[in-house]
Amino acid sequence: MTTTVRAARRPRRPLFGSRPTRSPLLRALAKHSVMIILLVLMLYPLLWMFGASFRPDNKVFTTLGLFTGDFTTDNYTQGWSGGDQLNFSRFFLNSLTLTVLCIIGNLVSCSLTAYAFARLDFRFKKVLFALVIATLLLPYHVTLVPQYIMFNQLGWVNTLLPLVVPKILATDAFFIFLMVQFIRALPRSLDDAARIDGCGHWGIFRRVIVPLSVPALGTTALFTFINTWNDFLGPMLYLTEPDTWTVSQGLASFLDATGQSSYGSLFAMSTLSLVPVLGFFIAAQKLLVEGIATSGLK
Amino acid sequence: MRLRFRRRPLAAGAATLLALLTAACGHGMPDHTDAELRGQGEITGDIRFSWWGSASRNAVTNEVADIFEEQFPGTHVEREAADFGNYFKRLNVQGAGRNMPCVTQLQARTLGDFTVRDTLLPLDPMIESGAIDVSHIPEAVLDTGRGPDGKLYMLPTGAAYDSLMVNETLADEAGVALPRPGYDWDDYLAFLRDADAALPDDIAPTALRGGLPNFFIAYVQGLGGTMFDGNRLGFSKDLLTEYWQMWQDMAGEGLTNSPAANSEEPTSPEASYVAQGDVLSDNRPGNALTPAQGTLDGTGTGERLTTLPLPSGPAGSGNVLITSGMSIPRNCENVPTAAAFIDFWANDERSGDLYASANGAVTNTELLQRQLDDPEQPDLKRQELTLYQQIVADDPPIVLYPPGYMAVFESAFTRAYEDIAFGSASVPEAVDAFFEEANAGLAA
Amino acid sequence: MKENNAGGRSGGTGTPTRPEPPRTLSKGRRARGDNRAAYAFLTPWLIGMLVFTIGPMLFSLYLAFTRYDLSSSPEWIGLDNFRRMFTTDPRFFSSVDVTLTYVLWSVPLLLAVSLGLAMVLNRGLRFLTGYRALFYMPSLIGGSVAVAALWRQIFGEEGIVNKALGSIGIDHGSWIGDPGSALYTIVILQVWTFGSAMVIFLAGLRQIPQELYDAAAVDGAGPVRRFRSVTLPTLSPLIFFNLLLSVVNAFQAFTGAYVVSNGTGGPSDSTMFYTLYLYEQGFAQLNMGYAAAMAWVLVLGLAIFAGLLMFSTRYWVHYGDER
Repeated sequence: MTTTVRAARRPRRPLFGSRPTRSPLLRALAKHSVMIILLVLMLYPLLWMFGASFRPDNKVFTTLGLFTGDFTTDNYTQGWSGGDQLNFSRFFLNSLTLTVLCIIGNLVSCSLTAYAFARLDFRFKKVLFALVIATLLLPYHVTLVPQYIMFNQLGWVNTLLPLVVPKILATDAFFIFLMVQFIRALPRSLDDAARIDGCGHWGIFRRVIVPLSVPALGTTALFTFINTWNDFLGPMLYLTEPDTWTVSQGLASFLDATGQSSYGSLFAMSTLSLVPVLGFFIAAQKLLVEGIATSGLK
Repeated sequence: MRLRFRRRPLAAGAATLLALLTAACGHGMPDHTDAELRGQGEITGDIRFSWWGSASRNAVTNEVADIFEEQFPGTHVEREAADFGNYFKRLNVQGAGRNMPCVTQLQARTLGDFTVRDTLLPLDPMIESGAIDVSHIPEAVLDTGRGPDGKLYMLPTGAAYDSLMVNETLADEAGVALPRPGYDWDDYLAFLRDADAALPDDIAPTALRGGLPNFFIAYVQGLGGTMFDGNRLGFSKDLLTEYWQMWQDMAGEGLTNSPAANSEEPTSPEASYVAQGDVLSDNRPGNALTPAQGTLDGTGTGERLTTLPLPSGPAGSGNVLITSGMSIPRNCENVPTAAAFIDFWANDERSGDLYASANGAVTNTELLQRQLDDPEQPDLKRQELTLYQQIVADDPPIVLYPPGYMAVFESAFTRAYEDIAFGSASVPEAVDAFFEEANAGLAA
Repeated sequence: MKENNAGGRSGGTGTPTRPEPPRTLSKGRRARGDNRAAYAFLTPWLIGMLVFTIGPMLFSLYLAFTRYDLSSSPEWIGLDNFRRMFTTDPRFFSSVDVTLTYVLWSVPLLLAVSLGLAMVLNRGLRFLTGYRALFYMPSLIGGSVAVAALWRQIFGEEGIVNKALGSIGIDHGSWIGDPGSALYTIVILQVWTFGSAMVIFLAGLRQIPQELYDAAAVDGAGPVRRFRSVTLPTLSPLIFFNLLLSVVNAFQAFTGAYVVSNGTGGPSDSTMFYTLYLYEQGFAQLNMGYAAAMAWVLVLGLAIFAGLLMFSTRYWVHYGDER
């Protein structure tokens, strides 16, 4: 797709005028070198972490360089199994379950809400939308303790419910707002066309808005994935038993000011914990940027 | 008309919720029978147990809980863990929900936060009834678990202490002798000055520790002073001024590393400067010797660390014990099993051997002896335990920490000294500000 | 639909005009039909709002006027918490100062970096997918416990920045440990995790019809002109969205400072953000009433800020469906 765009545009370039002509190969080379230098600068911390994860535990901090002569995979094997009951296959599974549930919750509830705000006229719309914005601004510290007391009364502590149910009930104003913005930018003519074809609101939502909002839905899914995967405070409060720990809690358990810490395992498991999110990103960015909806718009 | 119809359910719903939440805070707690308060009853059913630590401590803790379940069929221990910093923040929230685990690990320094709110059961009746056996725990250690009313609210199971950790190899190379047993603060300073004269320029004789509360406690106790008078500071402004001035003079003489280097230092012992051979000495927990030496081994220089007691004062040693132990909250519904678990933890040989003093030296003297007698005990661990024995034998002073000690006192102390070290406040200004903040915060 | 959209947007001048959707139904009929449907769509959100947000909020509003240590019942003390905040608590003002400085630095930097890279990574380069994923990577680890160690490797006394400076003869101490520079290392941490903003910009850039650029190009507009008259206006809803979001996030910044300073806000309170102080008051010192009061002051402050931003949108934000 990119290449066709470039090919189509190339003949027009002289219209831009002032730029001195250069070999496209050289230009591409220059561009890529700039990008790669930028990338190396930006990713240095991660590269260093990757290198450190293969050093023996007590040599982790001995160099600023990326790789040294010492090479060991102990950090991965020890970090992964930890003890018999505490191991990362469990933590990864827990994180994955939680993440999938949260994504489904957010996608369904936030898109429903956003459709109403973006497309429908109803009483108190302004007031309620102001509420959405207000919750967007709300520091979570405000509701933390009352929520804990409530979940504790409901007997939900040590289950996934305190982390998942709020998502099913669209408490993430961020995503509502995101989708409202996206849906508002879609041309209304599409709705009207569907309406003429006999679609009700549900039909318009399902057949027009949802397919066209794939970029927004993908963005929501991606951000929910990252937020949930990296969330520390929520699981720390509600998932106290090591059996139910998520990856972020597992990572925190490598460090402790009062005992034996293992930075090597921390870096090894941190590296591994990037893999699912990165994979999801690569998969989801197709939705985001090359999605059907976008091409349908043009 | 319509407007009211729409709004009413909203307001009513909110009001109901508010009422529900307020009611939740006054949630009642189980009424314990006298027998339960004495820890007597059937040892069965579920208890929740929480501790702090990292992966390696979690593993041994789990093993001990497993043997307890084997020993008492029908019991089930639900485990909760977090790292030290997050552990206590979560405990605060759990306290709010009357949701503390039946057996909760606490530290003597945080005990006040819980006794002041009457969240814990006194353990004395359980000791009298024989449910918990403390006959092998030294009196001086046991007393660190007492509240202001003299009752025992935490059974100390592990005892840590602060030590002067010195890089022996560097000291040898510089030709300075380590401070001799019983050395005082003047000897300590003389040691640092000698070292400074002989050490390479990029190695400071000590890390800058003027903002470390534990070191100051040792200073005050060595002078025979008092740290706390109820909920107020028990020492004078002059004493603190003198102490901080001493550190400023040391920094001025070049005996310490820089304040900026000092404030970026990570908290875990493995990553400390003394563990990397960047400073000659530091005040570090005695049980950090093993992990710190591990890092130093990684540098490949072959340097060795050793630990000494902290400097003494005119009134003798100021080395206090920092104990951690087990408490039973009032909201516990299975007190007999909780008491049995604590007793098992404190006295069972298998538990002692397995746990192997993973969080401070084990307080039960018989279990401790078993570990010292173990021929496979690594030398460093042995040294940690021996130094503990030495400090206990000196009858260490006991500090009764007021509620808010960690959150208010420690944070204000460190910050006030940082203000001095970075030059944003003079010593007297920082002392005044610290006194005001600490006294106001501790009284609240 | 293709013709409709392109024709509607890319008038003669290259400045987009808004499409005028056909109005097939009368306003009155639609509004009546919408009410029921709208509330059906809103049901999950309304329940969540009441139970998880408004209820707890009202409770914390009540707490703001009390002294409450989490265990005994809250004790009504009127405006004392607010009085203490504005008269006798120097740490409160220092945390406001730190937070405002942080907002003023991190928000513009973050927006500039994310928009700039989104434009570069939008089209016209090979291996775009790979580049995007790689540039996104820092955002995946931004709040992890590992970051504290990584940041020391960069901005610590022995870090790579000082190594680089040292090689050109500049001697500098720790950047993280110095109260004068610690905050800016956290600004950089925030800007480093620009991925989310970039993705939103990317998705937006993709929705700008190529025809607009082509039309502008035909009119002889250079790259700067095209950026100003096509990209910026069409992207304005998303710029606004990212702006609002990063302002809100910056005001509520917590994780970066918490992780790097190990929860202390040090050195010398130089990274003691508002929310970090709030957290310390509430969860470490158990002054829940004071923390609730602080949270409400933050809510009000943010509301004013956001209100101003929203008000400004009528001057620079162009929505596709405006009528």
